[in-house]
Amino acid sequence: MVESVPLTWEEVARVYGRKIYNFAYRLTGNPDDAHDLVQEVLLRVRKGLANYQPGSFEGWLWRITRNAFLDDLRKRKRRPTSPLPDEVDRWDLASTESADAAYARVSLGDDIQKALLEVPFEFREAVVLCDIVGLSYEEIANAVAVPIGTVRSRIHRGRKILKEILG
Amino acid sequence: MSHPSEQISAYLDGELHGQELAGLLEHLSGCGKCSAELEEFHQVRAAVRSLPVLELPENIVSEADRVVVPLRRNRGVWVGAAAAVVALVIAVAAMVTPPPTAVSVDDLSSRFGARVSLDPAFSPAKVVVPELNLVGE
Repeated sequence: MVESVPLTWEEVARVYGRKIYNFAYRLTGNPDDAHDLVQEVLLRVRKGLANYQPGSFEGWLWRITRNAFLDDLRKRKRRPTSPLPDEVDRWDLASTESADAAYARVSLGDDIQKALLEVPFEFREAVVLCDIVGLSYEEIANAVAVPIGTVRSRIHRGRKILKEILG
Repeated sequence: MSHPSEQISAYLDGELHGQELAGLLEHLSGCGKCSAELEEFHQVRAAVRSLPVLELPENIVSEADRVVVPLRRNRGVWVGAAAAVVALVIAVAAMVTPPPTAVSVDDLSSRFGARVSLDPAFSPAKVVVPELNLVGE
């Protein structure tokens, strides 16, 4: 299916920025990494839009997002850093909302977020793309470049692990 | 009895169709284990979906824009550098190329004479050279 393509990277940021941020946040568990990932994705989108071939724009966008995340993960493995402090301490106090509001909002899903981070990456990614981003199995398969059957299996296994952790 | 556990998640997501869907529904009607699992998966799915939707921090886009700006400047630097190289090449070429010499009538007649010797049909009288700076006239 041919979709209309946002004209500028600013439009991509406006339309998809929040989804990318939530994907990144739920996958990484902290705002700083999510912040960096969104910026990296926006830069890659800006560079890539000129060569974009009409097709599934969301598939293209999520492939970029996923590749940016995996590239960052590889960099971190090559250059290990000190363990991350608690996520609430790392909340961006310069953002528009107050620290208290941010703390309350983050704490609301704290247990679920911690449980998500214990799920192996490929299962966590599938669950987040399905339940947080709201992609269909076909869209996830397109973004992750695996068969739909694999997507189904990964979502199932991810939820099963979550069930054991949260249960 | 095999339990179609993997299909339960797909069913919750509305990703099960046709015979698979009919088969699962039939199985669920007679299997307490899978019915319980359906309820558990439903709760897990609802829990993940209940995570608050976070707003995109306003500074992300403006910071990304600031990172983009130097890219535009860099491109300008490269264009400027390329123009400087071209100008340098032209300047060097101008220095090593001998200046054009004025053409005298004698030079022309000697050149045309050479042409006449090669081409008997050629007539110097038919040649019009209005732009040449003739010295010695």
